[in-house]
Amino acid sequence: MNTRKILQTDLQQMVFLGMVVAMKIILGQISFGPTIVKIGLGFVGSVLLGYLFGPLWGTIGGGISDLIASAIFGDQGGFFIGFTLTAMAGPLIYALFLYNKPVKIWRIIASTILVTIIVNIGMNTLWLHIMYGLNFNAALVQRLPKEMIMPWIQMIVIYFVLQAVSRVKIKK
Amino acid sequence: MSKIIVGRYIPGNALIYKMDPRGKLLITILFIFTILLANNPISYGIITLFCFLAVFTTKLKVRVFWNGVKPLIGLIFFTALLQLFFMTGGKVYWQWWIFTLSSYGIVNAIYIFIRFTLIILISTVMTVTTMPLEIADAMEWLLKPLKIFKVPVDKIALVISIALRFVPTLFDETFKIMNAQRSRGADFNDGGLIKRAKAITPILVPLFIHSLETAIDLSTAMESRGYRGSQGRTKYRVLRWSKYDLLDLAYFILLVVLLLIFRNH
Repeated sequence: MNTRKILQTDLQQMVFLGMVVAMKIILGQISFGPTIVKIGLGFVGSVLLGYLFGPLWGTIGGGISDLIASAIFGDQGGFFIGFTLTAMAGPLIYALFLYNKPVKIWRIIASTILVTIIVNIGMNTLWLHIMYGLNFNAALVQRLPKEMIMPWIQMIVIYFVLQAVSRVKIKK
Repeated sequence: MSKIIVGRYIPGNALIYKMDPRGKLLITILFIFTILLANNPISYGIITLFCFLAVFTTKLKVRVFWNGVKPLIGLIFFTALLQLFFMTGGKVYWQWWIFTLSSYGIVNAIYIFIRFTLIILISTVMTVTTMPLEIADAMEWLLKPLKIFKVPVDKIALVISIALRFVPTLFDETFKIMNAQRSRGADFNDGGLIKRAKAITPILVPLFIHSLETAIDLSTAMESRGYRGSQGRTKYRVLRWSKYDLLDLAYFILLVVLLLIFRNH
């Protein structure tokens, strides 16, 4: 038995998607760690979306989570379609690696590295470049130190979370 | 834990509150693109003036907007500084290793600072004067054209409203779970990395199970109330355009026209 079998109907799937999107928004507001390296938990939501709902609905859920978060909390970078695309790309990549697959360490490492490079370093820097006219290289220099540390911590968190969530699936 | 406020809406009765959320959302989104039109001091002056006009029409205290900018002010300064030393061109005043202080860099850093501030201010105007529910309705309306591409807009609308409704509920639940775990010795802010990463599971798993159960309960309740998919249903909450929406339209058109006239071509 797994989560997708417990959720038999389409409606149940959609309602659960709504709940996980809400979870992602809340996790995005929580951060832990010392002040120098604050780690937001939003990525856990992206992983859950990708892992549970697959590429299509995971991606849609990611987009919705960005829209609602900006409606409730006010988007810190302003309403900009680029960051919605960013929020969609994360779950998509996680879904491609983790959806319907056994939890393997290499899958977690590969997906996290890809998300870091494509989404956090690539896309987000590009949006800042477009939106604010930042010099691309300078924006990269500003971003790189954080993005060199984050993925390793994220991998550890993702590993424990997926272990736990797959356990939930079996028990139910 | 970061300070958490669910919803930034501040009630008021200024004119801007009477405007349709769809219009406001559209203009907020388009405002960011119109900033890209500005490329000389006059055009930046115009857009700053228009932004402060929008801020002024909310009739809210300056502090509200200061609170919107405050958490990011350090980041904005740092970004502007970095840009200052990386941009080259124009007259060079000072140079060391890869850093250059040039006239072009100074102007650009100022522009970037203005852009950041304006974008944050205009987004703050939007979220402060519009209820989250209204913003969600406006987003749903904006997504409608995607129907042409066979995007399941109805389902997305359902997911949006459920997520929006359950964010506050799950928030409370999260804090309850954290406190419950804390009361039995869990520590979320101490220990090494692996220990902290592990500490997330005692929050996440109960939250996950709670969501799963809520989803099953809610969908059962919806079905028993006769929900059979989004198609063929009426709408109870309807957004209506009013004469005030001509004002924000005029605001936007005037802004774009002025920018097109005064920018460097």
